[in-house]
Order: sequence, then C-alpha cells, then structure tokens
Amino acid sequence: MMVKNMGEKQEIGNPLPAFSLPMLDGSGQRNPESFLENKRGALIVFWSGVCSHCLRYDQYFNEFTTRYPDLGFSSIASRLNETRAEMTSSVRDRHLTFPILLDEGGKVARLWYSQQTPRCYLLGPQRELLYRGAIDNFRMPIDPEYRAWLDPAIESFLKGEPIARPETASFGCAIETAYYKLPGQL
Amino acid sequence: MSLLEDLIKFPVRLMQTGFAMAGTALHSAQTAIETVLDVRPANVTAAPFDGPPDLDHALSDLANRAARIVYFMPHDAEALPDAFRNLFAAARSSFRFADLTDIRNLTLPLRLPFALGTLLTDAGQRALEGMDAIGSPRYLEFIAYAFQIFSEFPVYVTLEYRALIERQQQWLKEHPEDAATRKDLGRALSKVGRFAEAVEHLNRAAADDLTLRSSALHEAGVALFFSGQYAEAADSESKALAANNENARARYWLWLAAQKLGGYPAAIPAAHHMEMKTGHAKATVVYEDIAERVGLDKTSGGRSIVVFDYNNDGLLDVAIACAHGGTSLYRNNGNGTFSDVSVESGLYHGVNGFGMAAGDYNNSGYPSLCIVRMGFFGGMIELWRNNGDGTFTDVSVESGISAWAPSFTCSWVDYDCDGKLDLFVCTNVGGVFDRKVQHKLYRNNGDGTFTDVAQQGGIIAPFGAIGHSWGDYDNDGYPDLFISNALGRPILFHNNGDGSFTDVTAQAGLDVPALAFNAQWCDIDNDGWLDVIQYTWSVHEDTIHSMRTGETPRFGHPTRVFRNNRDGTFSVISPELGLTECWGSMSGNAADINNDGYLDIVLGNGGPLMDRNEPMVILENDGTRFRNVTFSAGLPIMGKGHGINCADLFGDGRLIILCSTGGAYPGDLLTTSVFSPNRRPGNYLAVLLTGTKSNRGAVGARLKLVAGGREQHRVINGGSNFGCLPPQQHFGLGALEHVESLEVWWPSGAREHFTDLPVNTRVRITEGEGIWTTDPALTSPA
Repeated sequence: MMVKNMGEKQEIGNPLPAFSLPMLDGSGQRNPESFLENKRGALIVFWSGVCSHCLRYDQYFNEFTTRYPDLGFSSIASRLNETRAEMTSSVRDRHLTFPILLDEGGKVARLWYSQQTPRCYLLGPQRELLYRGAIDNFRMPIDPEYRAWLDPAIESFLKGEPIARPETASFGCAIETAYYKLPGQL
Repeated sequence: MSLLEDLIKFPVRLMQTGFAMAGTALHSAQTAIETVLDVRPANVTAAPFDGPPDLDHALSDLANRAARIVYFMPHDAEALPDAFRNLFAAARSSFRFADLTDIRNLTLPLRLPFALGTLLTDAGQRALEGMDAIGSPRYLEFIAYAFQIFSEFPVYVTLEYRALIERQQQWLKEHPEDAATRKDLGRALSKVGRFAEAVEHLNRAAADDLTLRSSALHEAGVALFFSGQYAEAADSESKALAANNENARARYWLWLAAQKLGGYPAAIPAAHHMEMKTGHAKATVVYEDIAERVGLDKTSGGRSIVVFDYNNDGLLDVAIACAHGGTSLYRNNGNGTFSDVSVESGLYHGVNGFGMAAGDYNNSGYPSLCIVRMGFFGGMIELWRNNGDGTFTDVSVESGISAWAPSFTCSWVDYDCDGKLDLFVCTNVGGVFDRKVQHKLYRNNGDGTFTDVAQQGGIIAPFGAIGHSWGDYDNDGYPDLFISNALGRPILFHNNGDGSFTDVTAQAGLDVPALAFNAQWCDIDNDGWLDVIQYTWSVHEDTIHSMRTGETPRFGHPTRVFRNNRDGTFSVISPELGLTECWGSMSGNAADINNDGYLDIVLGNGGPLMDRNEPMVILENDGTRFRNVTFSAGLPIMGKGHGINCADLFGDGRLIILCSTGGAYPGDLLTTSVFSPNRRPGNYLAVLLTGTKSNRGAVGARLKLVAGGREQHRVINGGSNFGCLPPQQHFGLGALEHVESLEVWWPSGAREHFTDLPVNTRVRITEGEGIWTTDPALTSPA
C-alpha cells in the first residue's frame, strides 16, 4: 500500500524534509547536507536510468558541478521496480559520473512530492526550496522555441536576485504507477 | 458509392451476420458450460498485477502478446526462434492463473474451444465493423495502424521501451543490412525523444532500401522537426517527396516546417509546396495564450480538463488529468490567477488519469471527481469524493465502483431522475483481441455506494467506444445515451424511464459508421430539441486532403451533426452547415465563444503517432454555417489536442479555451494551453442553477433563453468530452442589452419561468424559489 502524504507540500522558501539515502556505488549514506557542505546551494534531481527524458540530460548532469562550482548536485533514483543492476548498467553504458542515491520504495519522492523524472529541486544553504520543476520546456536547445527554466533560476540565485519563475511544470516519466507492477508486456 | 464498393459490402454484411450468429451461439454455449462448472469469468475489480484471472482474459492476453511479438519481430526467418521463445514465455505469463490442483481447471481443454471461438468472433465482428467505417481501400493500412497502437502502448506505458530498443540495436549489430528494422528502431528512438539517433538510423534505412526511402526520410523529418531543426526537417521532407510525390504526410510536415521558418526555404521545389486552403475565414475573436501568466501551466501530458467549482466559492476552478503524473487541481484565486493545489487536495495521488468528470453525487454542494484511465490499454476507475474542506478522498472501493477497464470518458447523469447523480463509464477495448468490457452505469444508492446496472438495464454494446453523451432527445424527461463507438456505428439507447434502455439506433437513422471519438448533445439549431455532434477522427491522409482543398475526401467523415427531426429520427446536416473538413478530432466542444448567440465548435485534433500533429480548429457559427477561422484567430499549430474546454474562468464574459496537448509517447510532451480572447466579443448572460428536488448540480436541466425575440437553448452536461464543462450556462447576446425571458426545465420535471433578466452578469437560480439573483463578475480580468 502506497503511503499517501497529503496536505504538506513544501512552499517555495521553506526547508525541505531531511533524508538519508545510500549511494548507488556503495560509498555510504548521504543526506542533503552532504551536498550543501561548503556550497551556496545544491540541486537535487529525481532521476531514473530507464527514463528517456533523463537520458537527454546525461551531459548536463555530468557537467553540472563544473558549470556551477558553487552548487552541490545529486540525483535520487526513486522509480518503482527499477533494479540496482539496471541503474548500474545505465551508469556504465552512458558514462554517468554524477552521484545517484537509491530511494528504494520511493519514500523521499513522496516526501518531496515528486512524481516524475527528471524533476529538479534547487536548495539554498539551509535546505530551503528555491526552485522546483523542469530543466526546460522539453524542446531541444537548438529549437527557437526552447526555453531554459532551471538555468535562469540558478543564475538569479547565484546573483542574489529573486527567482522570477520558481515553479514550473514537470515533464517526464512517472516515478510510481500501477503499470510498473503489471507482468512484463514485451 | 461505386458498384465495386456495393459488391464488397454485400459479403461483408453476410460475414457480419455470420460472425454475430456464431458469436451468440458460442457465447451461449460457453456461458452454459461455465455456469455448470462454476467458473464464470471474473469481474476485474483490481489491477491485474498477477496476470489474467481466468481463461477468457488469459486467452485475450496471450493473443495480444502474440500480436505484439509479431509486430515487434524483425521480418526475417532468423528471428523466428526468438519469437517462439517469447511466445512460450507469453503463454506461461498469460496462464499463470491456472492452478492445476483445482479440479475445475481440468476442464480447461473442454472450455478452450469455446473461449477461443468467442474471442475470434468478437474480433471478427470488430474488424468487419471497422471496414464499413474506414472504407475498403485503406482498410489494411488502418488494421496495421491499430496493431501498432495496441502493441506499443503497453510497452511504452510500462517503460519497457528501453528493452525494445536494446533488442533492436542488438539485432542490427548482427544484421546491419535490415533496413526495415533500422527504420523501426529510428521511429522508436524518435518516440522516446532520442531524435539525433533516430535521424541517423532513419537516414541510413532510407539509403539502404529504396522502397523505404520516402517513408524513412519523412520520419527523419518528423524527428528533426521535434528537435527544432526546422530547415533540416524541411529538407528531409522534401527529399521524401522527391522519392515519392504522393507522400502526403511528407508534404504536410514540410508545410509545418515552413511555418516555423516563416516560409518555404528557397531550395525547396515549388512542386513540394502545399497551400493551406482552410482556417483563414475572418475571425470575430483573436486569442492569446495566457497559461503561464495565470498559473495554469504546471501540467504536462494533460488529458481531460474539468472546469468546476470544487470549493463552492463561486469561482471556476480547473482540474487536469495527467497521463504521466498525478491529477492537477488549480484553485481560482479570484484575481485572475490560479494556484496549484494538487497536493493539498490529495488529487495529486490520482496518477495516470485520462478521462475525468465532476459531479455532486452526494448533493453536498461540493462536486467530486471520477477518473478513468488508458482507453487503449486499461486502468483503474476511481472515485475521488470531495470532502468540502479542499481535500478529496479516494472512495473507489467503498463506493463499489472500483474496476479495471480501458476507458477514455465518464460522465455524471441522473438517469432515473431521483435527484441523485449516477455515474456512467464508457469503456473501450484494451487490445486488438481484448474482450469488450461492458460499459458501466453505476446507480447511486444514496448512501455513498453505487451498483452497476448497465447490463440489467440493457446497455450492452459489442464494440469499444471512446466517447458518449447523455441528453433527452425526445423531451420525455429522461436522459438518453448516445455512445460514440470508436470504430463503426454509434448507438443510441433510449431511456424508457423504468431503469431499462432500448437500442433505437437504426430507427433513429443513426446507423451510419464512422471512426469517432467524442460526442455531445446540444441544441445546435435552437429549436428546443437536442441535436448531437459526433467528433470524428479521420485518418491522416483525409485531414491533409481537407487542409489542401477545404473539402471532404472520398470515404471521409467530417464532424457530424445529427439534427433532431423531432420525431425520434435524426438527419446528418454537416454538409448544409459547412462542416465538410476532416480532422483527427480527439475532443471537441460546442460553445458560443464569440457571444453572438450561436454555438460554435472547437476541435482538439491530432493522433497518437509522432507524425500526427494538427491544428486546434475553431469553427465559428454565424447562424447558418460554420466557418473555419483557426489561423485568423491567431491559434498556433498545436500538436495533439485532448481535453478541450470553454469556460468564463474570470467572470467577465469571455469564454477561455483550454486545451490539453501532447501525445502518448515520451518524446511528445507539451503543457496545457489556455487561450483568452483579446476582448469580450459581445454581451452575455451566465446562469448557474442549484437543484433542490433535482440533483444539486442540476445536471440534465434544460434552459431556454429568449432575447431579441430569438431563442437559445442549453443543457447542463455532466461530462464526457475528455472532461467536464463548467456548471454555469453561457448565453451570448451580441449587442442585446436585455433578456426577455428564461425558462428552466429541471430534471425533477418542474418548470420555472423568469422574465426581464439583466446582461453581462451571472444569475443564480435555486429550484423552487421562483427568483433569480444577480451574481456580478467576481474576479478581475486576467
């Protein structure tokens, strides 16, 4: 039975709940503070190795801390029934270098009200929520109609300016759905 | 109609009759045997996590799996061993229910021929019905399309596409010359948004096999378009046309790319150009997209849109079902903006919604929501009770409506006029070989529970349906049911008023096949008798034909308006109304969007495949004919239109058009669009009814307004068109500044008459009070 978490959605500006999750690579437990240490903030992304949307951002995530050295970064793998072996093969085949936390059972996804991958949470130094939503409008950067959503939010934050659009839609694959519990269809 | 077509139709009719008779006999024999053995098929009330529960479902599941295996396998003898292995695994999965220690299962061999026979006769009847709707020349192509949709959806919704792609990649490593599989791989990559890789494979397939060249280059053009490389897309589509000048889709996508580029690139030959002949009639209203500005932009992959007042504060709120996430609920703040309260409300947990309808089934003043799912596959039917404090609770199980069924639409209706809203769920088939899950009519027991009385009442339908609508076409006081079958003739069930229904389709003259999605009862000619609009879905080549010519293609099915002849029969009047264009209408809505007193039509168009993007279409009605004003109204090409809703969200007399867009595949996502007129196009009056003896939301009530000596008629609809229209009724009045009278015919049978009503405001009327009260605009314009 899915644990339902109702009526407590975190508002922009308020701290997000704490968690402690194991790293996929076996290097121990991490909490949000692990990524905030000596940083001005951090980006946490709900991620899945199967999700084709996440795949689009492999390079973006790999290069995130290089691009934004003042920010920490981690992903959280919460998708129902995604195995450790599947994730490990994604890391190997796609040369992923960013941290991946294992959220078996999707508890943190529910705690943070995340239903789709990739969904981004930009945190301030006190774990306060600064931005929540998508990376962009799901167009390709070459598209004249492309609009970045996350980068402008980060840049405003780093400049100490208010974030004009702190919440956007989420595009992506469902983290938890009845369809993942059905017998394989292929 | 040619002699050849008549000659084809004759044996088809014979075969239909034969299949029907054989099916009836086999069903009877199967039922008798199963009754004796006490092994009747189960009602699937929960998701089938452990696989099919009985023989009937297992056979369907196996047949669908076998179809998928054939669909996805490379066309090569070397692929056969793998295919057989997969088939064996599929059989084990489908029949995992069979407990051989249960003595009743020893009778499986006896029951198997009957179960198989009914499966084949059901599928055969559907196949032949489809031929009538599609036309024989394109039938095989359509069958292939149906296999594609039904084979791919289960794989994509479960995110098994990665395994599929890896399987195709592995095959191509060993068989790099297999251009057909390479093209399939390219299309699969495009569907998941891996456009660059898709283009690479599609171009190679086009180079390797000249028979695939045009289609592969077209698909490459589509992938380039989705990745925003419009010049490259135009070039690829032009090459596709050079390879096959009859490739209509390539010509259309070349036109789409040219729109993005501000015109055809100079290098594109004039012979490849296309003129858009429709959509340019002069619009009375011009629109702008305000979704982001008003805060209705947080949903991607939206489906149904419900406009209702969930917190009973007098303002219209919006709920949007989301195919890949939880249901969105937006609270109207009363200042021209909305707040996303999905989480606080609990509706956030209603994941993967498709169809949705709002209804105050417990007469609490707070409308609840029914959610249905995945009409091409399957999903849970859910009821979310509005607690009246801003939250909703899933009461599916305790209310007795919990079931697993493929469904696109649902609606609330007081079919027995007892003052309590009942619930109708319209079901489709979830696979090519699925058994038809019967539609569900849940009678409201008055204690928070429901009982399915559909079959007991005679609502039995052999074919899958996407849309439906309830309306009292014969003015006898009881709402009747029009079912828009996905493929074939619609069905009209007359409500006999005693809990039973009679199929009167043939005698009503509605026995006309089409491929259709939704339907809507409304009084299009304002004569006091409800007409019905059937929003048809045309194959892509037909819509392109209409775009290029403004006319109906051969075998085409434009949007159909069946005029009520006031004697129990209907006539198709689409051509007289100027409705001659074919569109892939997945949803539609009739509303007076330009406040001139005549119902206009808004169509949400497209199709599931990546290369099926179409404009959302506005058809303005001047009282005699409809004119396509899409492009002059400033609407961009949209993509795939699902929920279409028209509502005066800000209480200022402007009907806002809401449209959920985006497709079924991961590579085809968009957010909801919200189009606002740039001005109020005329005077108006909004009317909000509250039932007392009737159901509180007054669903089913009829209204007749007289202004300037002219009648306008409305009916309060409890949902169906991929959503649910707002409870208040909107009357456009043009320049008129006075309403002579308003008559309300309540579902209870009571009638009330009011005179001298104001304009440019909302009036509230409570059943039995005999007065109206003004309820001036409550919000500021956005």
